[in-house]
Amino acid sequence: MNNLIIVLLVFWIISSIWCVFAQKTYRVIIFFGVFSLLTAAIYLFLGAPDVAMAEAGISAFTTIFFIVCVEKYYSRGEGLKHEMATKTNKPRKITRYIFPFIFCVALLVLFLNFAPTGYVVTELRDQYLQMFMHDVGGLNAVTAIYLGYRVYDTLFEALLLVVAVVAVIHLSWYEKTAVSDGKHSEMERSRMAKFTMRIICPIILLFGTYLVLNGHISAGGGFLGGLAFASFIICRFLVLGIYDLPIEKAIRMEEIVFINIVILPILAIFTGIMYLAWDATEIFQNIYLIAMSGLIGMKVTLGFFVLFYRYIAIERLPEEGEGE
Amino acid sequence: MDFHILDIFPVLLFFISFFGIITSGNIVKSIVMVIIMQTSVIMFWLGVGARFGTTPPIFEDITEIADPNAIADPLPQALMLTAIIIGVAVTAINITMLNALFRKYKTVEWDTMQELAVKDEGLEVQDLGGVTSESTI
Repeated sequence: MNNLIIVLLVFWIISSIWCVFAQKTYRVIIFFGVFSLLTAAIYLFLGAPDVAMAEAGISAFTTIFFIVCVEKYYSRGEGLKHEMATKTNKPRKITRYIFPFIFCVALLVLFLNFAPTGYVVTELRDQYLQMFMHDVGGLNAVTAIYLGYRVYDTLFEALLLVVAVVAVIHLSWYEKTAVSDGKHSEMERSRMAKFTMRIICPIILLFGTYLVLNGHISAGGGFLGGLAFASFIICRFLVLGIYDLPIEKAIRMEEIVFINIVILPILAIFTGIMYLAWDATEIFQNIYLIAMSGLIGMKVTLGFFVLFYRYIAIERLPEEGEGE
Repeated sequence: MDFHILDIFPVLLFFISFFGIITSGNIVKSIVMVIIMQTSVIMFWLGVGARFGTTPPIFEDITEIADPNAIADPLPQALMLTAIIIGVAVTAINITMLNALFRKYKTVEWDTMQELAVKDEGLEVQDLGGVTSESTI
């Protein structure tokens, strides 16, 4: 095993311990960002570039989620304005820790007895690696698996994203959406950040398009392209302060995209058009892969757009004297 | 006992994050610890896939690769890519639920919130076999 991976793993553990013993909420979030960056690096060195890129993007998103929430809501709570202590002074019952302790011991016993030692030989791996170009097409085995062999997983993942968006909308505070003017946001918008964003945003869009179109022949794909597009929209929210995007249309469009994500594999795989022994089969395969990447990219973009719009633009604490 | 190095670190991290969940008084910290626990599981599976070698499974012709046995297993990678996106959905719902609770009780501490819930709604703290249930709030 590469020594670099072991060094990174040691720092990985250290950063997680920082995260556990940090006393302030901001520190927890920042150490979590460090942890996620190290995680992405380790994924890359383990030979999983797709997962590494997804983790890097997702960790940036999660950190922004937390910082926005702490900045907008939690820092205004009782006794939290000046000191956001994460440790309670109250003594806790010893009995509270008995069940977790038993759980840990049981897990440890399971790991010691049943952890696979040595090499795990799976016939599935060899079959996938030998056959994916013929069966699904493309040059990236990971994309071939989640768009071809195991497309059910992708369908349910898209469904789960829809469910999450619906849940966030229904758990949100305001029934009547009052779009903010951005003034209550306490984040300072500097002129330099605006100027930089105007230069970077076209590059982000270009990068997202590249990721969607090249997902089947290199690392990338619909998820990562969608993340890049979503980051463009979030830059508009956070840095430029533009909230003029139509959210109702976005929710509607997300449903339509989800239906398309269900229909396209049914048409492509279940009718068997990808497995016919034509000369044109490769063209069909490439069209299918790019179309699915594009649809998933749209799905992820719209999902993140709706989530962040709810968090940043709509949700806010009621002012003094304002009823619920 | 002869364990692979890629097994030991994720399992260690799993227990660290579990410790963090049960000892943190802050709900934000608890959500962060849940994400870290999920990361440990993902790292475990990628480690299982990388025991053959760490060459990424992206190639034009498998015969041109020097050592085809050194290609990482693509199946855990595809499944974990899906798991990461699902993790974001879970995190978003967690934060939304916390926002809804924060709107009601104006705090992000477990204990304070539980006291307020008991005081406001007359809920009794259930004693489930020695574990103080926090599901009552």
